[in-house]
Amino acid sequence: MSLKKFSELFGDLDSINSTNNKIEVLKNYFLSNDPIDNSWAIYLLTGKRNKRLISGRYLKNLFSQIYDYPQWLIDTCYLKVGDSAEVITLLLKNKTNSRKKKLSNISLNELLSETIPALSKLNEEEKNVEIKNLWETLPEDNHLIFNKILTGTFRVGVSIGLITKSISKLINIEEEIISHRLMGDFKPSIDSYQFLINKNINLQELNSKPFPFLLANTIEDKIFENSINDFQFEWKYDGIRMQLIKRSGNVSLWTRGQELVNESFPELVEKMSHIKDDFVLDGELLVWNFKEQIAFDFSLLQKRINRKSPTRTIQIKYPIIFIAYDLLEINGRDIREIKLENRRIELEKYFSKWQIKTENNISDIFKICDLIFPKDWPDALTYKEKSRENNTEGLIIKKKTSIYSSGRKKGIWWKYKVDPMQLDAVLIYAKGGSGRRAGLYTDYSFALWKDKELIKFASAYSGLTNIEIKELDKWIRKNTIEKFGPVRSLKPEMVFEISFEKIQISNRHKSGIAVRFPRITKWRKDKKINDADSLENAYELMKKIS
Amino acid sequence: MRTKQEYLIRYKDGNLYCELADIWIDPSKPVKKALITHAHFDHFTFGCEEYISTKETAILLKERVGDNIKIKTFEYGEEFKINGINISFHPSGHILGSSQIRFIFAEEKWLISGDFKLQKDQTCKPYEIVKTDYLISECTFGLPIFKWDESNKIANDISKWITNSPEKTSLLFCYSLGKAQRLLNEISQTNFKGNIYSHGSIHKMNNSYREIGIDIKDTIKIENKKKIDELKGSLILLPPSLSKGSYLKNFKNIQTAFASGWMSIRALRKRSGYDKGFAISDHADWDGILEVVKKSEAKNVFFHHGDSEALSKYLVEKESINVLLFGK
Repeated sequence: MSLKKFSELFGDLDSINSTNNKIEVLKNYFLSNDPIDNSWAIYLLTGKRNKRLISGRYLKNLFSQIYDYPQWLIDTCYLKVGDSAEVITLLLKNKTNSRKKKLSNISLNELLSETIPALSKLNEEEKNVEIKNLWETLPEDNHLIFNKILTGTFRVGVSIGLITKSISKLINIEEEIISHRLMGDFKPSIDSYQFLINKNINLQELNSKPFPFLLANTIEDKIFENSINDFQFEWKYDGIRMQLIKRSGNVSLWTRGQELVNESFPELVEKMSHIKDDFVLDGELLVWNFKEQIAFDFSLLQKRINRKSPTRTIQIKYPIIFIAYDLLEINGRDIREIKLENRRIELEKYFSKWQIKTENNISDIFKICDLIFPKDWPDALTYKEKSRENNTEGLIIKKKTSIYSSGRKKGIWWKYKVDPMQLDAVLIYAKGGSGRRAGLYTDYSFALWKDKELIKFASAYSGLTNIEIKELDKWIRKNTIEKFGPVRSLKPEMVFEISFEKIQISNRHKSGIAVRFPRITKWRKDKKINDADSLENAYELMKKIS
Repeated sequence: MRTKQEYLIRYKDGNLYCELADIWIDPSKPVKKALITHAHFDHFTFGCEEYISTKETAILLKERVGDNIKIKTFEYGEEFKINGINISFHPSGHILGSSQIRFIFAEEKWLISGDFKLQKDQTCKPYEIVKTDYLISECTFGLPIFKWDESNKIANDISKWITNSPEKTSLLFCYSLGKAQRLLNEISQTNFKGNIYSHGSIHKMNNSYREIGIDIKDTIKIENKKKIDELKGSLILLPPSLSKGSYLKNFKNIQTAFASGWMSIRALRKRSGYDKGFAISDHADWDGILEVVKKSEAKNVFFHHGDSEALSKYLVEKESINVLLFGK
């Protein structure tokens, strides 16, 4: 029942590779702890929100102050460790008096619902005294978790899917239900945990939550053996995938990352609330070029994502649109189990009804996606090649008979991307540039996953804007692990989309592959390193091309 | 202040060299006369005309590279003279036979720490505090983030790691000389009572330790074709060089771990590719290095084998100890 148990869980999850073992460890944790601690554990593990109370820099300064420790020495250590919370944890070792460990039985709940909130109410001086006090009274084993929670950097290699699986196994209820229960806002409490593990399924309770998203897989050759008429074709937009929900009159916008983003897009919420029916739509949010009727670049959308309560000026400058792909629920009736082609009929029917019957004009912010009708597969390919012209990434191909299940279900939805030779890779080394780029780190090496290891697969130095280069340079200096002459090895944290023209086997590279003209095409700030591609993905890519 | 050339011991071609005695310390290339601090391969090279070491180191070296090397041995503390310089070996606590080497010439004392640790290790003599004017010390772990836990705590962690996965074969990677024997000694005192296997290279070293009179728990030499069931729940000690190749295909349902001081850092643990890391080292941690520097009463200190920048700055600023730079 203690923070100590959670620290152990963290240590275990951190050192176990096998998914099954992780599930087992999680199950045992849930079984042996009380509901409130379990709900906090889920809250932290799913990364729902871990708001930072103080910055890593603050933590380091504080340590330096309290223990009269040279700042430069902490900074040197940081270069090696790459994580402020961990550096301070390592430096705190044997520093505090072990006889004073009064808090050896503090629960996760106590820490998160009492201690931390109390800390946040203190002024700076009191806060510093209290953190010192906590360091001295918490057992050393708990320092890492405590420091990570303080600095909002708690992260561990566990996906929501894994949590879902372990709870599903724990109570023997289908993953879909657990997944749905975990969607949306999760407020840690006894109730929220009880709700999660409730063996009685009551769909009413899921009312405020989005459905688990159905995701497309990368296209496979075997699809071309099927009749083109079995599929529905849509453009693949590069926006924010979203469920637009209106239930009991209330509109909510849920991203695939399960964030409620109503505040960022108030004009959409407002307009949609005029529609008389209740519904759940699956679709994409974009910044829209109304003149040419195509999407603007993703970078414009970025200007809207993180801005809450955007001014009227911003709303006009970056006009948004919601393009619906699918209708999942209508007036309380869950229609995910009916075939896609029939759902499409419903979608079209309701859309035209709403266009006519809604008092305010909704078509300047909401439409349904156009379908494409290729004659045959070569024609589909032609469409795909044209997708750059309308600023889409290719095609989405959906089986007309598919029901709306959840996750990356195989064999029903595919993405057919215009340039398949792209991989999301992790930045691991940087080297100083020369000439105009002297003094900046502009030559980058990128890595792909191989099991738990990141293997270098390409170097690139073009594709970023000058502003991005400067920003990245600043980050590189702060996140260097080691220096080898002009090269710095970096904390694996940044993910970039790397595009290239050719991919082939190479014995000269550790990765076993060589790519031609690699370049950075996108800084994927929205992705964590676990979302980066693996070497296996690269090999698949190679197979597909040859 | 003397120039670098005037020091009794200095760096020459990347190695420690005493010109007056024309003798090298742990040279990385063949020379006429080499003092060897211990039998790890990065402190030893083939082809020297004459080697000088402790008795234990000589036995281990011969076991590793064969009998046909010319090697002169001395006891710990026994002084011998080369060109008027008094030289002696003193225990450094790193592995069996490992030593610090002291030079005394014209009433000036020099001490080469060799690789050393202060932590408990029942498989070798403990570090001996030796007073000196000049200290040449290693600083492999010369940052304050490195603070070792007691070795019995680590051994208990290892024991738990194995017994918590009774269905698995636990592969623990560690250096075959020194670390492996220390681990065996510690693990045999924990609750883990299952079978322990070791790779040939480790097995060989275990035998040498026993010959020298160090009690090392019996292990079974691992054969390539062992039945999977037989290995379930047991521990296998392997050298790190086998962790990356196809060797692991000999086993099924395994968990792997690496025993090394570097494993105290999460990022290094993650990058290492092992499931788990146990932070146990035969080198001194930060506090250990500081303690040796202080207790040696050296007025001047040189560092090598590691990142010495921070450590040097710290000693100069906080302890007012003169840290000198070797011209490499």
